[in-house]
Amino acid sequence: MVNTDGQLYTIEGFAAALIMIATAYLVINATSVYTAGDTHISDMQLEAIGTDALKVMDTNESHLSKSPLRDIIEGTPIGAENATFGASFWYLINNRTQSGLDHIQYSASYSYRNTTDNSVNSAFINASRNLSVGEHAVRATKWVVVNKQLPGNITAQDRAVLVEVLMWRD
Amino acid sequence: MARLNDDAQWIILMGFLVSFSFFFLAMVINQSTVVGQTTAESVIEFPKNDIRDVRGVIISSMNVTNPGVVRGDITVISLSRKNAVISYTSPQIKDNHTVINMHYNNGVTEFNENWTSL
Repeated sequence: MVNTDGQLYTIEGFAAALIMIATAYLVINATSVYTAGDTHISDMQLEAIGTDALKVMDTNESHLSKSPLRDIIEGTPIGAENATFGASFWYLINNRTQSGLDHIQYSASYSYRNTTDNSVNSAFINASRNLSVGEHAVRATKWVVVNKQLPGNITAQDRAVLVEVLMWRD
Repeated sequence: MARLNDDAQWIILMGFLVSFSFFFLAMVINQSTVVGQTTAESVIEFPKNDIRDVRGVIISSMNVTNPGVVRGDITVISLSRKNAVISYTSPQIKDNHTVINMHYNNGVTEFNENWTSL
């Protein structure tokens, strides 16, 4: 005859097993979601650093002077590189409170409109390193009003250009 | 037939209570990380810097000598490089204040402002 002792223990064992499996499932599931969210947060911080650095560079010292960023764009012919941008932007993004620099690399250019055919073209400014295929870069942008002769115009006039910087950590 | 042993029912009941509370705590942990990701994603998706920047350039280019060309620059470059539709009115003087109506739309976020100078 079947022994009917310990039925309550058996039921308890089953219930406990189910609860443990469900708990483990919930916890493991949660961990896998967390890593995906994590990378976005560091991207956001890198983008904020870039946007702030560009904002600093587009601030003029007084009403009469031009901002460094505006000076750089106005003084550099399209197709030429400008090392002044690199010198200040590099230290703005890589300086830390501790000694030693951070490892953020950048590649900067600006987009302008050609007034004859409304096409948007890009002019290179400066890069700390060439962007390779494997890098995970974020983009920071800044509108700058410059007085410059751009393709499609014969004379210099006030124009809005978009400075775009790709940034990544190596 | 053997009688069912009904000793220690309180201990078993407490065991159930504790294990159920663990279950609900795990559920809370699960939900909290999902909430963290959703928040981070919506913060990234929200174009705070883009809106501030385009708003700034519209206001600062208010007094340029060739507003039509600058307007073309802002709308065309925004559309092709930032995937955003921008439209704004020319500055109008109302009650000794300059007024500009600005509209920004990148397909996810829409921003409209009726800017008035101080």
